[in-house]
Amino acid sequence: MSLLIAAFGFGLVSMAVIALAAVGFTMQFGITNMINLAYGEVMIASAFVAYYLNQARVSVWIAMLGGAAFGAVFSFLINRFVYTPFQRKGTALLGMVIVSLAVSLMIANAMLPIVGYFSVAYRERFSHLLRFGDIALTVNQIVIIVLAVVVMLAIHALLRYTRLGKAMRATAANPMLARNCGIPTNRVIDAVWLITGALCGLAGVVAALDSDSFTIASGAAFLITALAAAVLGGAGQPYGAMIGAVIIGLVTELSAAVWSPDYKQVVAFAILVLVMVLRPQGLLAKRGALAAAG
Amino acid sequence: MREGRLRRFLALPASAMVLALTACGTSGGSTGGGLGSGDLLVGVLAPFSGADANLGPAYYAACLAAAPAINNNGGVGGRHVTCQKFDTRGEPADAAPAANQMIASNSNLMAVVGCTSDEASAVAPIVDKAHIPMFCMTGQSEFNKTKLPYFHRLVPADIYDAYGMVGWVQYGPNHPAWNKVALVFGDDIGSQSFVQPATNALQHFGKTVKNFPIHLGASSFRTEVQSMLAFKPDVIFTEALGSAGTYLGEVKELNSGQTIPFIGTSATIDPAWFKDVTGTIGVNDVVQYYRGVDLGYTFSGKAYDEFKANLQAAASTFADAPKYGQRGSTLHLYDGIIMTGLAMVATNSKDPTVYNPKIKDIANGTSGATVVHTYKEGLDALNAGKSIKYVGAAGENNFDQYNNSQSGYILVKYDAQGGEVQVIGLTPEQTKKLSDAGGI
Repeated sequence: MSLLIAAFGFGLVSMAVIALAAVGFTMQFGITNMINLAYGEVMIASAFVAYYLNQARVSVWIAMLGGAAFGAVFSFLINRFVYTPFQRKGTALLGMVIVSLAVSLMIANAMLPIVGYFSVAYRERFSHLLRFGDIALTVNQIVIIVLAVVVMLAIHALLRYTRLGKAMRATAANPMLARNCGIPTNRVIDAVWLITGALCGLAGVVAALDSDSFTIASGAAFLITALAAAVLGGAGQPYGAMIGAVIIGLVTELSAAVWSPDYKQVVAFAILVLVMVLRPQGLLAKRGALAAAG
Repeated sequence: MREGRLRRFLALPASAMVLALTACGTSGGSTGGGLGSGDLLVGVLAPFSGADANLGPAYYAACLAAAPAINNNGGVGGRHVTCQKFDTRGEPADAAPAANQMIASNSNLMAVVGCTSDEASAVAPIVDKAHIPMFCMTGQSEFNKTKLPYFHRLVPADIYDAYGMVGWVQYGPNHPAWNKVALVFGDDIGSQSFVQPATNALQHFGKTVKNFPIHLGASSFRTEVQSMLAFKPDVIFTEALGSAGTYLGEVKELNSGQTIPFIGTSATIDPAWFKDVTGTIGVNDVVQYYRGVDLGYTFSGKAYDEFKANLQAAASTFADAPKYGQRGSTLHLYDGIIMTGLAMVATNSKDPTVYNPKIKDIANGTSGATVVHTYKEGLDALNAGKSIKYVGAAGENNFDQYNNSQSGYILVKYDAQGGEVQVIGLTPEQTKKLSDAGGI
């Protein structure tokens, strides 16, 4: 029983990390209609930017902002100079997925000679362990959970209460109609890539910090869980991604405690498959992309 | 053990016309006649990207060190040896096309090195079918009695690594009694091959042992660690390439800052592994709590000195090359390439069907063979009409009928700079007891 409770605590941490990654990923798809498989590589590239700042004696929490800024700019540039030209030419969604896969491989291979293949770790990887009964969390992990909650609330506020958020939802629902109504959709999309890129960068640093050590190859692992949470919640649905993150994060840890770590991912993805069978649109995709946000 | 599994040499595709020239040759003519002309190529077939991207560079470094050892002494019958990377990404699906492409586009392959457990099962048959000697870095048991004649393995099978680790528990000095042992290896088939022999041997010696498999590459193992800690182990057996840093970091974190002693396989004697683990638990903890097993390298002598010097010089091509000075796989592959070059000279043939069997002769030596330590010494002896036994940078080789070379184990630790420190060597009697206890 104590292991189960401990696993629940670990699940909260996993949930927080996945949520940060999944919300950005799903917003990119929901608003720009782009399944960006390079997301994991941008995460890890941002994590390395923060790592180099951290090595220069910048606190990891400040370096995290650098990672987020890098993620924002890098994602924006990828969209501007790679994805948008293809989309303008009318490349189909499947074709864009392949393009993003190519971008992912290019980023990984371009980074390899720069960052090398050795594992690295942030200087502040260790922090005090606090125990709440059977739940044991470090200060870093608690900060990560709080950070995720704050970011989720901020995303909620952005989408629900700001003009930009409303413009995003309008663009997601019907870009042509939004344009005809005077919404500068191109600028909205630029803003989306900057915001989701920042989320991506932030998630990369958080995931790397949570992992203790990371390498250039860690991007794929980060992407898979984010993708699973996004699809489970309903592709394009930020709130769905949050729910997906809760389910994936908790289920993976709890199943490891109840059965065996061997089945950790099996159980999580079995649930994903089950949901896809019973509800192909995902948990929250009832009213179309981003509709639930309003 | 993922790395340290397969090494294979690829040799050149057969050219029947050289047979007439090789008919007379057991000693070395270096005129280039039967040996052909143009550069020779050593294919480094290994992961250079993906989760195991840290493995390929160790083998590439071996080739970069071996090439000048041969080239500075006239090459192989005047032919210079070059090295080329062929990236398997650590995936069989990528490895098989990479192997096919390597063979199809390079008619000057003399050998292939690399092929880890990630891809050995996929590529070894392909390379063998092309009749190219290979030196592979895998410990997979399926190669213990392989029928692939071009396959060579200079590293031990995983089961022997497992016995070596049990040897630390039984015979290692200066540690308290380790009665409860947690086995922490990847949940893939290759990594789990350590588990059964280690379990058998430990139970034979009255120890309590439990397996805690982990999914390599996962971003965290907190629940797995918590479960393992509940077992209250005295010591952990592990390898966990690519994930050891994260796992052991979480062990320390969840064990109130206290690292549990851990014993690593021979693949953990590796600069990437050292950096990964020291990055999370710190150098002091690695020096204090790490134990490892390795083959009995001396890291000294004429062969090693030349290897080390060439490795230093290779930094101009590959900056990280000097870091592999004490990496067993790098030493072995270096020797494998040298032996292949000598085998070609000895048979005066560029035909791998002719020189492949000679590799074993040169490694094991025949009666009355002259012991040589470098390519130049081998060349001189061959030119003098002598048969040779090559004892190289990694020491003696002893191929069995399945081209598996096995030598004695040493128990080791790390120093603060990541250098290997030998503690003791396991005696043949101790090794036999361990092997008998393992029963595999």
